[in-house]
Amino acid sequence: MEQNYFLLGALVTPLIGAILALVFASSNRLQRSIAVLAGLIAWVFCIALLTQVHDSGVQTYALGNWKPPYGIVLVADALGGLFAFMVTTIMIGGLLYTFHCRDKCMTYPAFVPLFLLMEVGLIGAMLTGDLFTLFVFMELMVLASVSLTAISDDQYGLEAALKYILISSMGTLFLLLGIGALYATFGTLNMAEIARSLLTGVRPFLAPAAAIMLLCAFLLKSAVFPFHFWQPDFHTTAPTPVSAMLSSIVVKVGVYGIIRLVTLLFIEEAPFLERWLSTLGIIGILFGSLGALRTYNAKRMLAYSTFAQIGFILVGIGWGTPLAMIGAIIYAFNHAFIKSSLLLLMGVVASFTTTKSANFADISGLGGKLPPVLGWLVLIGGLSLAGIPPLNGFISKLTLIQGGVDRADWANLIIMVAAGILTVMYMVRAWQRIFQQNPLPATVDTKDQGDSLFAPLLLIVVCLLLGTVLAEPMIQLISETVRQLGDAQIYISAVNLPPPA
Amino acid sequence: MIELLFALSIGMLFGIGVFQLLRRDLVKAAIGFAILFSAINLFFVAVGAFEGEFAPYVSNVEAGRQTSDPLIQALILTAIVVSFGSFSLVLGFVNIISRRYDTVDSNDINKLKH
Repeated sequence: MEQNYFLLGALVTPLIGAILALVFASSNRLQRSIAVLAGLIAWVFCIALLTQVHDSGVQTYALGNWKPPYGIVLVADALGGLFAFMVTTIMIGGLLYTFHCRDKCMTYPAFVPLFLLMEVGLIGAMLTGDLFTLFVFMELMVLASVSLTAISDDQYGLEAALKYILISSMGTLFLLLGIGALYATFGTLNMAEIARSLLTGVRPFLAPAAAIMLLCAFLLKSAVFPFHFWQPDFHTTAPTPVSAMLSSIVVKVGVYGIIRLVTLLFIEEAPFLERWLSTLGIIGILFGSLGALRTYNAKRMLAYSTFAQIGFILVGIGWGTPLAMIGAIIYAFNHAFIKSSLLLLMGVVASFTTTKSANFADISGLGGKLPPVLGWLVLIGGLSLAGIPPLNGFISKLTLIQGGVDRADWANLIIMVAAGILTVMYMVRAWQRIFQQNPLPATVDTKDQGDSLFAPLLLIVVCLLLGTVLAEPMIQLISETVRQLGDAQIYISAVNLPPPA
Repeated sequence: MIELLFALSIGMLFGIGVFQLLRRDLVKAAIGFAILFSAINLFFVAVGAFEGEFAPYVSNVEAGRQTSDPLIQALILTAIVVSFGSFSLVLGFVNIISRRYDTVDSNDINKLKH
C-alpha cells in the first residue's frame, strides 16, 4: 500500500492553521490571513487528491504506518475526494467573508481557530476510513460549530447552541453505541474490513441494529424529518459565515455517511434503509418548502429550504439506482454552493441594518441602499436554487428527476416538482420584498456600510462555473464516482484487504 | 453472574441517563448526559473483555490463553476525552444561560419561539 501524503496534508493543514491562529491571537488580521492560507493549502491538497483518485484509483494513508485493519487509515475514494473538495472550496468562501465582516464575534480571538477546527472535523469525517475516527471528527465539528453559534452576535445564539448540543450529543451517543455494536460483532473499526465481513453474507445479531443506530445519527446531523427541529434555530442564529457553512457543508456530512452506509457497509440492508430515506425525504421536502414559505426571517427561510433540499437528496439516494445516485450527488454538490452563497448574501443584506437582523420586517425595501449587484446575485442564487433552466440548479434537478422517472416513482416526483415551484415562490418573494418594495415606515435604521460582497460573489461565480460551464465534466466525474460506489470491492481492495472468500 | 450484573448496571445507567437528559432542569439534563456517556463507556468495556482473558501488556500469558483487547481501552480513553469536552461545554452554556435568563428551567428558556 502506498502512502499518499496529500491525505495527511489536507487534514493537518487546517489543524496547524488553527494552532497558529491561536498563537497569533493578538492580531485579528494575521489570524484571518493564516486561516485563508491554511484553507487554500488544504484546497490545493484536495484538488491534487481528486485528480489522483480520478487517474489512479483510491488513495490511502495509514497513520503511523500501522497497517489496516489494525491501524487508523485515511482513505480518499471518489466520493470522499469529491466531498472534501466541496468542503474546502466553500470553506475558503467562508474564511474570506470574515475579512470584511463587521460582526463583533469575528474579533474574538477564538473565532478563527474554531472555524478552522470545524474544517478539520469536516475534512476528517470525509476522508477517514475508520468508524471511530469518524465519530471523533464529527464530534469535533459539532463542538466547534456549537461554540461558534454560542458566541454569535445574535442574542439567541446561546439558546440555540444549548438546544443543539443536547440533541446532537444524544445522536453522537447513538453513533458511538452503533460503532460499539459493530466492534463487538466484527472486532474491527476499519470500514473496509467491516464491509468485507458483511459482504460475505454473515449477519450477526447486532449488525442490523448498528445499521439503524448509525442511520439515525447521520439523519440527525443532516436534520432530516424526525430530527430536524433544532435546525432552523441553530442555522439562523449562527454568525453569517458560520451559518453559511452549517447550512451547506455541515449537513452534507450526514448525507455522506448515509451514502457510505447504503453503498459500502450495509448493501444487503440497503433496500430497507432506502425505503425509509425516501419517506423521510418526502416529508422533509413538503414541510421544509411550506415552512420556508411562511417564515418571517430571510436566513430562517434559507434554513427551512435546506431542510427541503436535503429531502431531495435523500429521495435520490432512496431510489437507489445509479442514475438517481448521480442526481443525488450532483444535487448535494450544487446545493452546497448555492446555499452557502445565498446565506452569505443574506448576511450582507442584514449587515446594512443596525440590528443585523434578517427579519423581513427589517430588511423589506432595503434595496435602495444596497449595491445593485447584490439584488441580481440574490435573484440568480434564488432561481438557481429553484432549478430555473440556464442555471446549475436546473441540471441537478433534471438529473435527479430523470432518476425518478427511471424508477417510475410518480407520486414522489409530483411532490418534488411542486416543491420546486414553492422554491421559486419563496425565493422570488424574498427578493421582491428586499429589492423591489418601497421601504416600510417602521424599517429600522440602516448603515451606509455593510459587509463586503467579495466572498459570496466569488462563491456564486465558482458555483455557476462548475455547475453550468463545466457541467459536462462534472457529471462525468460524478458518474465515475457512482460507478465506483456501485462496486464496494474497489474500496475494500484499495485498503489492501483480500476479497471475501 | 458478574456478566449479568454488568449488563443490568449498563442498562440501568442508560435508563437513568435518558430520564435525566429529558428533565426540565438543564443542570440535571447535563448530568444525565454524563451518565449516558459512562453507560456507553461501560458497554465498550463489556465488548472488549471476556472471562478467562488476561490483561493486555501487563500480565504474562499462559500458553493457549488470550489477552483481552487493548484497543477497547484506547477507544474508551478517547471517548472519555470527547465526552468530557462536550460535558464541560454544556455546563458552560448552562452557566451563562442561568445568568442571562435567571433560570435553568428549559420551559422558561424559550425566547427563540416567536
